[in-house]
Amino acid sequence: MNSIKAYKNELIVAVAFLLLLMAFFYKQGLVATQNVASSDASNSLNELKETIALKKVWANKQTTKKVDKLRSLVSPSSVKWKRTGKKLTASFSNLSPIELNRVVVKVMNLAVSIQKLDVIKSGTSYTMELKCKW
Amino acid sequence: MERPNILNFMENTKELILVYQEMRRIDTMPSKAINIMLTPQFYTLIREELPVKYAYQAKRIAASLFDGLLEDAQNHHYFVIKEEDSWLFIAYNPEMIRSFLESKGIDVETISKIYFAEQSLSSFVSPVLLGDTDALVNLNGTMTVVPQTLLDADKRTMQIHKSLTPKNGVSFEARGNALLGTNDTYTLAAILILFASIYVIEASRYGNGSAIQEEEMRVILEDYPALESSYTRKSILSKYRKIDKEERTKRNVIKSLSSMIFKGATLTRLSINDTKFQATFECSNAKVSKRLKALAKKENFVAVGLKNSNNLNIEGQL
Repeated sequence: MNSIKAYKNELIVAVAFLLLLMAFFYKQGLVATQNVASSDASNSLNELKETIALKKVWANKQTTKKVDKLRSLVSPSSVKWKRTGKKLTASFSNLSPIELNRVVVKVMNLAVSIQKLDVIKSGTSYTMELKCKW
Repeated sequence: MERPNILNFMENTKELILVYQEMRRIDTMPSKAINIMLTPQFYTLIREELPVKYAYQAKRIAASLFDGLLEDAQNHHYFVIKEEDSWLFIAYNPEMIRSFLESKGIDVETISKIYFAEQSLSSFVSPVLLGDTDALVNLNGTMTVVPQTLLDADKRTMQIHKSLTPKNGVSFEARGNALLGTNDTYTLAAILILFASIYVIEASRYGNGSAIQEEEMRVILEDYPALESSYTRKSILSKYRKIDKEERTKRNVIKSLSSMIFKGATLTRLSINDTKFQATFECSNAKVSKRLKALAKKENFVAVGLKNSNNLNIEGQL
Protein backbone atom coordinates (compact mmCIF):
# COMPACT_ATOMS: atom_id res chain seq x y z
CA MET A 1 0.00 0.00 0.00
CA ASN A 2 2.78 2.36 0.99
CA SER A 3 4.83 1.60 -2.10
CA ILE A 4 1.76 2.30 -4.26
CA LYS A 5 1.35 5.64 -2.54
CA ALA A 6 5.06 6.39 -3.06
CA TYR A 7 4.59 5.96 -6.79
CA LYS A 8 1.15 7.57 -6.92
CA ASN A 9 2.23 10.19 -9.46
CA GLU A 10 3.82 7.66 -11.78
CA LEU A 11 0.71 5.52 -11.43
CA ILE A 12 -1.54 8.43 -12.42
CA VAL A 13 0.59 9.14 -15.49
CA ALA A 14 0.69 5.44 -16.37
CA VAL A 15 -3.12 5.18 -16.16
CA ALA A 16 -3.50 8.33 -18.27
CA PHE A 17 -1.03 6.91 -20.79
CA LEU A 18 -2.94 3.66 -20.84
CA LEU A 19 -6.14 5.59 -21.54
CA LEU A 20 -4.36 7.38 -24.36
CA LEU A 21 -3.21 4.09 -25.85
CA MET A 22 -6.69 2.58 -25.55
CA ALA A 23 -8.24 5.64 -27.20
CA PHE A 24 -5.63 5.54 -29.95
CA PHE A 25 -6.17 1.87 -30.75
CA TYR A 26 -9.94 2.31 -30.48
CA LYS A 27 -9.74 5.10 -33.06
CA GLN A 28 -7.38 3.13 -35.30
CA GLY A 29 -9.66 0.09 -35.15
CA LEU A 30 -12.70 2.18 -35.96
CA VAL A 31 -10.91 3.96 -38.80
CA ALA A 32 -9.85 0.64 -40.33
CA THR A 33 -13.38 -0.79 -40.05
CA GLN A 34 -14.93 2.40 -41.37
CA ASN A 35 -12.50 2.58 -44.27
CA VAL A 36 -13.60 -0.86 -45.40
CA ALA A 37 -17.29 -0.03 -44.86
CA SER A 38 -16.91 3.35 -46.53
CA SER A 39 -15.04 1.84 -49.46
CA ASP A 40 -17.75 -0.85 -49.86
CA ALA A 41 -20.52 1.75 -49.68
CA SER A 42 -18.68 3.98 -52.15
CA ASN A 43 -18.14 1.08 -54.58
CA SER A 44 -21.79 0.04 -54.38
CA LEU A 45 -22.92 3.61 -54.95
CA ASN A 46 -20.61 4.08 -57.94
CA GLU A 47 -21.69 0.72 -59.33
CA LEU A 48 -25.34 1.70 -58.98
CA LYS A 49 -24.81 5.09 -60.61
CA GLU A 50 -22.86 3.51 -63.48
CA THR A 51 -25.55 0.86 -64.01
CA ILE A 52 -28.26 3.51 -64.18
CA ALA A 53 -26.19 5.70 -66.52
CA LEU A 54 -25.32 2.84 -68.89
CA LYS A 55 -28.88 1.57 -68.85
CA LYS A 56 -30.14 5.04 -69.75
CA VAL A 57 -27.83 5.09 -72.77
CA TRP A 58 -27.98 1.52 -74.09
CA ALA A 59 -31.55 0.61 -73.16
CA ASN A 60 -33.16 3.90 -74.06
CA LYS A 61 -36.76 3.54 -75.21
CA GLN A 62 -36.33 6.53 -77.52
CA THR A 63 -33.62 4.81 -79.59
CA THR A 64 -36.11 3.22 -82.04
CA LYS A 65 -37.54 6.64 -82.82
CA LYS A 66 -34.07 8.07 -83.30
CA VAL A 67 -33.05 5.20 -85.57
CA ASP A 68 -36.13 5.77 -87.75
CA LYS A 69 -34.97 9.33 -88.31
CA LEU A 70 -32.01 7.95 -90.26
CA ARG A 71 -34.36 7.39 -93.21
CA SER A 72 -35.21 11.05 -93.44
CA LEU A 73 -31.59 12.10 -93.84
CA VAL A 74 -31.47 11.05 -97.50
CA SER A 75 -34.02 10.81 -100.29
CA PRO A 76 -36.34 7.80 -99.90
CA SER A 77 -35.24 6.39 -103.27
CA SER A 78 -31.70 5.95 -101.95
CA VAL A 79 -32.74 3.84 -98.95
CA LYS A 80 -33.71 0.23 -98.53
CA TRP A 81 -35.03 -0.13 -95.02
CA LYS A 82 -35.81 -3.22 -93.01
CA ARG A 83 -36.42 -2.93 -89.33
CA THR A 84 -37.65 -5.82 -87.21
CA GLY A 85 -38.20 -4.90 -83.59
CA LYS A 86 -34.86 -3.67 -82.38
CA LYS A 87 -32.83 -4.80 -85.37
CA LEU A 88 -32.15 -2.81 -88.50
CA THR A 89 -30.74 -3.66 -91.89
CA ALA A 90 -30.44 -0.59 -94.11
CA SER A 91 -28.86 -0.02 -97.45
CA PHE A 92 -28.06 3.48 -98.70
CA SER A 93 -27.04 4.10 -102.31
CA ASN A 94 -25.98 7.06 -104.43
CA LEU A 95 -24.86 9.02 -101.43
CA SER A 96 -22.85 12.15 -101.98
CA PRO A 97 -19.81 12.55 -99.67
CA ILE A 98 -21.81 15.10 -97.65
CA GLU A 99 -24.81 12.75 -97.31
CA LEU A 100 -22.54 9.87 -96.35
CA ASN A 101 -20.88 12.02 -93.72
CA ARG A 102 -24.27 13.07 -92.35
CA VAL A 103 -25.51 9.47 -92.09
CA VAL A 104 -22.28 8.16 -90.54
CA VAL A 105 -22.21 10.94 -87.94
CA LYS A 106 -25.84 10.21 -87.06
CA VAL A 107 -25.16 6.48 -86.74
CA MET A 108 -22.15 7.18 -84.51
CA ASN A 109 -24.34 9.24 -82.20
CA LEU A 110 -27.01 6.56 -81.90
CA ALA A 111 -26.85 4.19 -78.96
CA VAL A 112 -26.95 1.11 -81.16
CA SER A 113 -24.65 -1.83 -81.49
CA ILE A 114 -23.13 -1.69 -84.99
CA GLN A 115 -22.89 -5.22 -86.28
CA LYS A 116 -21.87 -4.32 -89.79
CA LEU A 117 -20.99 -1.07 -91.54
CA ASP A 118 -19.81 -1.23 -95.14
CA VAL A 119 -19.04 1.83 -97.23
CA ILE A 120 -18.01 1.51 -100.87
CA LYS A 121 -17.14 4.31 -103.27
CA SER A 122 -18.30 3.85 -106.82
CA GLY A 123 -17.48 6.75 -109.05
CA THR A 124 -18.34 9.92 -107.21
CA SER A 125 -21.02 8.40 -105.00
CA TYR A 126 -21.06 6.02 -102.11
CA THR A 127 -23.12 3.08 -101.07
CA MET A 128 -23.48 2.15 -97.45
CA GLU A 129 -24.83 -0.91 -95.73
CA LEU A 130 -25.71 -0.84 -92.06
CA LYS A 131 -26.72 -3.63 -89.75
CA CYS A 132 -27.34 -2.77 -86.16
CA LYS A 133 -29.37 -3.67 -83.07
CA TRP A 134 -30.24 -1.98 -79.79
CA MET B 1 -28.31 9.63 19.66
CA GLU B 2 -26.14 10.18 16.62
CA ARG B 3 -27.68 8.77 13.48
CA PRO B 4 -25.17 7.20 11.10
CA ASN B 5 -25.33 8.70 7.65
CA ILE B 6 -25.11 5.47 5.68
CA LEU B 7 -25.70 6.92 2.23
CA ASN B 8 -23.15 9.69 2.49
CA PHE B 9 -20.34 8.15 0.46
CA MET B 10 -18.49 11.47 0.29
CA GLU B 11 -17.97 11.59 4.03
CA ASN B 12 -14.32 11.37 5.03
CA THR B 13 -14.00 8.15 7.00
CA LYS B 14 -10.25 8.36 7.63
CA GLU B 15 -8.99 8.88 11.14
CA LEU B 16 -7.98 12.48 11.92
CA ILE B 17 -4.89 12.96 14.09
CA LEU B 18 -4.04 16.34 15.59
CA VAL B 19 -0.33 17.09 15.28
CA TYR B 20 1.34 19.42 17.76
CA GLN B 21 4.88 20.04 18.95
CA GLU B 22 4.66 18.29 22.32
CA MET B 23 2.83 15.23 21.06
CA ARG B 24 4.06 11.83 22.16
CA ARG B 25 5.71 9.42 19.76
CA ILE B 26 3.20 7.05 18.16
CA ASP B 27 4.48 3.50 18.37
CA THR B 28 1.63 1.68 16.65
CA MET B 29 0.51 3.43 13.50
CA PRO B 30 -2.87 2.47 12.05
CA SER B 31 -2.50 0.30 8.96
CA LYS B 32 -5.10 2.35 7.09
CA ALA B 33 -4.52 5.79 5.62
CA ILE B 34 -5.00 8.70 8.01
CA ASN B 35 -5.52 12.44 7.83
CA ILE B 36 -3.66 14.88 10.01
CA MET B 37 -4.58 18.31 11.28
CA LEU B 38 -1.76 20.73 12.06
CA THR B 39 -1.84 23.20 14.91
CA PRO B 40 -0.63 26.78 14.28
CA GLN B 41 2.81 25.66 15.52
CA PHE B 42 3.41 24.36 11.98
CA TYR B 43 2.10 27.15 9.83
CA THR B 44 1.83 30.90 9.46
CA LEU B 45 -1.39 32.48 8.34
CA ILE B 46 -2.64 35.75 6.92
CA ARG B 47 -6.22 36.84 6.31
CA GLU B 48 -6.55 39.37 3.57
CA GLU B 49 -9.38 40.94 1.63
CA LEU B 50 -8.30 40.83 -1.97
CA PRO B 51 -10.08 41.75 -5.18
CA VAL B 52 -9.46 38.34 -6.75
CA LYS B 53 -12.07 35.84 -7.78
CA TYR B 54 -10.29 32.52 -8.04
CA ALA B 55 -8.01 30.55 -5.71
CA TYR B 56 -5.30 30.14 -8.33
CA GLN B 57 -5.08 33.92 -8.66
CA ALA B 58 -4.80 34.27 -4.90
CA LYS B 59 -2.18 31.54 -4.77
CA ARG B 60 -0.03 33.45 -7.24
CA ILE B 61 0.33 36.38 -4.87
CA ALA B 62 0.64 34.25 -1.71
CA ALA B 63 4.45 34.33 -1.67
CA SER B 64 4.53 38.14 -1.85
CA LEU B 65 2.10 38.41 1.08
CA PHE B 66 4.45 36.45 3.31
CA ASP B 67 7.47 38.42 2.14
CA GLY B 68 9.68 39.10 5.18
CA LEU B 69 7.52 36.98 7.52
CA LEU B 70 9.14 33.63 6.80
CA GLU B 71 12.74 32.72 7.53
CA ASP B 72 13.19 30.19 4.75
CA ALA B 73 10.47 31.29 2.33
CA GLN B 74 11.79 29.20 -0.54
CA ASN B 75 10.99 25.99 1.39
CA HIS B 76 7.40 27.00 2.07
CA HIS B 77 4.32 26.01 0.24
CA TYR B 78 1.09 27.95 0.30
CA PHE B 79 -2.48 26.90 0.88
CA VAL B 80 -5.23 29.37 -0.02
CA ILE B 81 -8.91 29.15 0.76
CA LYS B 82 -11.78 31.57 0.31
CA GLU B 83 -13.66 32.62 3.40
CA GLU B 84 -16.76 34.74 3.55
CA ASP B 85 -15.21 38.17 2.94
CA SER B 86 -11.54 37.42 2.79
CA TRP B 87 -8.90 34.95 1.67
CA LEU B 88 -7.06 32.74 4.13
CA PHE B 89 -3.40 32.27 3.22
CA ILE B 90 -1.44 29.56 5.02
CA ALA B 91 2.31 29.09 4.57
CA TYR B 92 3.78 25.77 5.66
CA ASN B 93 7.06 23.95 5.27
CA PRO B 94 6.36 20.39 4.06
CA GLU B 95 9.88 19.16 4.70
CA MET B 96 9.90 20.41 8.26
CA ILE B 97 6.47 18.83 8.85
CA ARG B 98 7.61 15.60 7.25
CA SER B 99 10.72 15.44 9.49
CA PHE B 100 8.63 16.16 12.55
CA LEU B 101 6.08 13.48 11.72
CA GLU B 102 8.81 10.93 11.08
CA SER B 103 10.43 11.83 14.40
CA LYS B 104 7.07 11.05 16.04
CA GLY B 105 6.84 7.65 14.36
CA ILE B 106 4.22 8.65 11.81
CA ASP B 107 4.84 7.12 8.42
CA VAL B 108 4.17 9.96 5.99
CA GLU B 109 3.22 7.47 3.30
CA THR B 110 0.10 6.61 5.28
CA ILE B 111 -1.00 10.25 5.37
CA SER B 112 -3.76 10.93 2.96
CA LYS B 113 -4.39 14.64 3.55
CA ILE B 114 -2.98 17.38 5.69
CA TYR B 115 -5.41 19.93 7.13
CA PHE B 116 -4.85 23.07 9.14
CA ALA B 117 -6.69 23.75 12.40
CA GLU B 118 -7.65 27.18 11.06
CA GLN B 119 -9.85 25.52 8.44
CA SER B 120 -12.15 24.11 11.13
CA LEU B 121 -12.27 27.34 13.10
CA SER B 122 -16.01 27.27 13.69
CA SER B 123 -15.92 23.65 14.88
CA PHE B 124 -13.58 24.41 17.75
CA VAL B 125 -16.25 25.46 20.24
CA SER B 126 -14.11 24.36 23.21
CA PRO B 127 -10.36 24.15 23.79
CA VAL B 128 -8.49 21.02 22.75
CA LEU B 129 -5.79 19.95 25.17
CA LEU B 130 -2.35 19.48 23.60
CA GLY B 131 -0.49 17.23 26.05
CA ASP B 132 -0.02 18.46 29.59
CA THR B 133 0.87 22.11 29.08
CA ASP B 134 -0.78 23.61 26.03
CA ALA B 135 -4.23 23.90 24.53
CA LEU B 136 -5.60 24.78 21.12
CA VAL B 137 -8.29 27.43 21.32
CA ASN B 138 -10.28 29.63 19.03
CA LEU B 139 -9.00 33.00 20.17
CA ASN B 140 -10.84 35.96 18.61
CA GLY B 141 -11.41 34.07 15.39
CA THR B 142 -7.93 32.54 15.06
CA MET B 143 -6.79 29.14 16.20
CA THR B 144 -4.06 29.69 18.76
CA VAL B 145 -1.93 27.53 21.03
CA VAL B 146 -2.05 28.83 24.59
CA PRO B 147 -0.78 27.47 27.92
CA GLN B 148 -3.41 25.43 29.70
CA THR B 149 -2.93 27.67 32.72
CA LEU B 150 -4.78 30.42 30.87
CA LEU B 151 -7.90 28.31 30.48
CA ASP B 152 -10.80 28.59 32.87
CA ALA B 153 -10.64 25.71 35.31
CA ASP B 154 -14.27 24.77 34.74
CA LYS B 155 -14.15 25.19 30.96
CA ARG B 156 -15.06 22.01 29.16
CA THR B 157 -12.59 20.68 26.61
CA MET B 158 -13.24 18.76 23.41
CA GLN B 159 -11.55 15.90 21.60
CA ILE B 160 -10.46 15.91 18.00
CA HIS B 161 -12.72 13.78 15.80
CA LYS B 162 -12.91 12.97 12.12
CA SER B 163 -16.10 15.01 11.88
CA LEU B 164 -13.80 18.06 12.15
CA THR B 165 -12.15 17.10 8.84
CA PRO B 166 -12.40 20.11 6.51
CA LYS B 167 -13.31 19.82 2.84
CA ASN B 168 -9.96 20.70 1.28
CA GLY B 169 -6.48 19.76 2.31
CA VAL B 170 -2.99 19.33 0.97
CA SER B 171 -0.88 16.25 0.38
CA PHE B 172 2.77 15.46 0.69
CA GLU B 173 4.47 15.36 -2.64
CA ALA B 174 6.20 12.11 -3.47
CA ARG B 175 9.80 12.11 -2.39
CA GLY B 176 12.95 10.10 -2.88
CA ASN B 177 12.85 7.85 -5.90
CA ALA B 178 9.63 9.38 -7.28
CA LEU B 179 10.26 10.72 -10.75
CA LEU B 180 7.41 13.19 -11.03
CA GLY B 181 6.23 16.10 -8.95
CA THR B 182 2.52 16.59 -8.29
CA ASN B 183 2.17 19.53 -10.67
CA ASP B 184 4.08 17.72 -13.41
CA THR B 185 1.92 14.65 -12.86
CA TYR B 186 -1.35 16.49 -13.22
CA THR B 187 -0.12 18.48 -16.21
CA LEU B 188 1.15 15.37 -17.97
CA ALA B 189 -1.95 13.35 -17.11
CA ALA B 190 -4.17 16.21 -18.35
CA ILE B 191 -2.27 16.35 -21.66
CA LEU B 192 -2.50 12.58 -22.11
CA ILE B 193 -6.22 12.56 -21.31
CA LEU B 194 -6.74 15.49 -23.67
CA PHE B 195 -5.13 13.52 -26.49
CA ALA B 196 -7.15 10.45 -25.54
CA SER B 197 -10.34 12.56 -25.74
CA ILE B 198 -9.29 13.89 -29.15
CA TYR B 199 -8.84 10.32 -30.38
CA VAL B 200 -12.26 9.30 -29.03
CA ILE B 201 -13.95 12.35 -30.62
CA GLU B 202 -12.17 11.67 -33.89
CA ALA B 203 -13.23 8.03 -33.71
CA SER B 204 -16.87 9.03 -33.19
CA ARG B 205 -16.66 11.22 -36.31
CA TYR B 206 -15.38 8.27 -38.33
CA GLY B 207 -18.38 6.31 -37.11
CA ASN B 208 -20.63 8.27 -39.49
CA GLY B 209 -18.29 7.94 -42.46
CA SER B 210 -20.43 5.83 -44.78
CA ALA B 211 -23.82 7.12 -43.55
CA ILE B 212 -24.01 9.81 -46.28
CA GLN B 213 -23.27 7.30 -49.03
CA GLU B 214 -25.77 4.82 -47.63
CA GLU B 215 -28.44 7.53 -47.51
CA GLU B 216 -27.69 8.55 -51.11
CA MET B 217 -27.91 4.91 -52.15
CA ARG B 218 -31.25 4.52 -50.38
CA VAL B 219 -32.68 7.56 -52.20
CA ILE B 220 -31.52 6.26 -55.61
CA LEU B 221 -32.86 2.78 -54.95
CA GLU B 222 -36.27 4.24 -54.16
CA ASP B 223 -36.43 5.28 -57.83
CA TYR B 224 -34.85 2.06 -59.12
CA PRO B 225 -36.14 -0.76 -56.91
CA ALA B 226 -35.20 -3.33 -59.58
CA LEU B 227 -31.54 -2.59 -58.92
CA GLU B 228 -31.73 -3.32 -55.23
CA SER B 229 -30.04 -6.68 -55.60
CA SER B 230 -26.30 -6.43 -56.05
CA TYR B 231 -26.35 -9.57 -58.25
CA THR B 232 -28.84 -7.94 -60.61
CA ARG B 233 -26.75 -4.76 -60.67
CA LYS B 234 -23.57 -6.66 -61.44
CA SER B 235 -25.24 -8.65 -64.19
CA ILE B 236 -26.72 -5.56 -65.86
CA LEU B 237 -23.50 -3.64 -65.39
CA SER B 238 -21.29 -6.31 -66.97
CA LYS B 239 -23.69 -6.56 -69.96
CA TYR B 240 -23.77 -2.83 -70.68
CA ARG B 241 -20.10 -2.26 -69.82
CA LYS B 242 -19.19 -4.74 -72.56
CA ILE B 243 -21.50 -3.09 -75.09
CA ASP B 244 -20.30 0.37 -74.10
CA LYS B 245 -16.63 -0.58 -74.47
CA GLU B 246 -17.07 -2.30 -77.85
CA GLU B 247 -19.23 0.44 -79.34
CA ARG B 248 -16.96 3.21 -78.14
CA THR B 249 -14.02 1.41 -79.81
CA LYS B 250 -15.93 1.14 -83.11
CA ARG B 251 -16.83 4.80 -83.03
CA ASN B 252 -13.28 5.83 -82.17
CA VAL B 253 -12.01 3.82 -85.13
CA ILE B 254 -14.50 5.56 -87.47
CA LYS B 255 -13.47 8.91 -86.00
CA SER B 256 -9.77 8.13 -86.50
CA LEU B 257 -10.32 6.97 -90.07
CA SER B 258 -12.36 10.11 -90.81
CA SER B 259 -9.45 12.24 -89.63
CA MET B 260 -7.25 10.48 -92.21
CA ILE B 261 -9.30 11.88 -95.09
CA PHE B 262 -7.52 14.95 -96.38
CA LYS B 263 -6.54 16.48 -99.73
CA GLY B 264 -5.14 13.68 -101.86
CA ALA B 265 -6.42 10.86 -99.62
CA THR B 266 -9.86 9.49 -100.42
CA LEU B 267 -11.69 6.70 -98.61
CA THR B 268 -12.85 4.19 -101.21
CA ARG B 269 -13.92 1.35 -98.98
CA LEU B 270 -14.73 0.84 -95.30
CA SER B 271 -15.85 -2.29 -93.59
CA ILE B 272 -16.52 -2.69 -89.87
CA ASN B 273 -17.98 -5.63 -88.00
CA ASP B 274 -17.87 -6.88 -84.42
CA THR B 275 -14.28 -8.12 -84.59
CA LYS B 276 -12.29 -6.10 -87.12
CA PHE B 277 -12.24 -3.17 -89.51
CA GLN B 278 -10.67 -2.53 -92.89
CA ALA B 279 -10.42 0.70 -94.89
CA THR B 280 -8.96 1.38 -98.32
CA PHE B 281 -7.59 4.81 -99.12
CA GLU B 282 -6.76 6.12 -102.58
CA CYS B 283 -3.69 8.34 -102.40
CA SER B 284 -2.82 10.85 -105.10
CA ASN B 285 0.95 10.44 -104.67
CA ALA B 286 3.64 8.73 -102.60
CA LYS B 287 3.94 11.71 -100.24
CA VAL B 288 0.25 11.47 -99.30
CA SER B 289 0.59 7.71 -98.93
CA LYS B 290 3.57 8.17 -96.59
CA ARG B 291 1.72 10.72 -94.49
CA LEU B 292 -1.30 8.42 -94.28
CA LYS B 293 0.92 5.54 -93.19
CA ALA B 294 2.39 7.70 -90.43
CA LEU B 295 -1.11 8.65 -89.25
CA ALA B 296 -2.19 4.99 -89.26
CA LYS B 297 0.89 4.01 -87.29
CA LYS B 298 0.12 6.70 -84.75
CA GLU B 299 -3.31 5.13 -84.23
CA ASN B 300 -1.73 1.66 -83.95
CA PHE B 301 -3.44 0.52 -87.16
CA VAL B 302 -1.80 -1.77 -89.70
CA ALA B 303 -1.22 0.03 -93.03
CA VAL B 304 -0.32 -2.00 -96.09
CA GLY B 305 0.47 -0.46 -99.48
CA LEU B 306 -1.37 -1.95 -102.46
CA LYS B 307 0.71 -3.23 -105.37
CA ASN B 308 1.48 -0.90 -108.28
CA SER B 309 -0.22 2.09 -106.67
CA ASN B 310 0.03 4.57 -103.84
CA ASN B 311 -3.18 3.24 -102.35
CA LEU B 312 -3.23 1.96 -98.76
CA ASN B 313 -5.14 -0.70 -96.93
CA ILE B 314 -5.59 0.13 -93.27
CA GLU B 315 -6.91 -2.51 -90.92
CA GLY B 316 -7.04 -3.59 -87.35
CA GLN B 317 -8.80 -5.70 -84.70
CA LEU B 318 -11.56 -4.44 -82.49
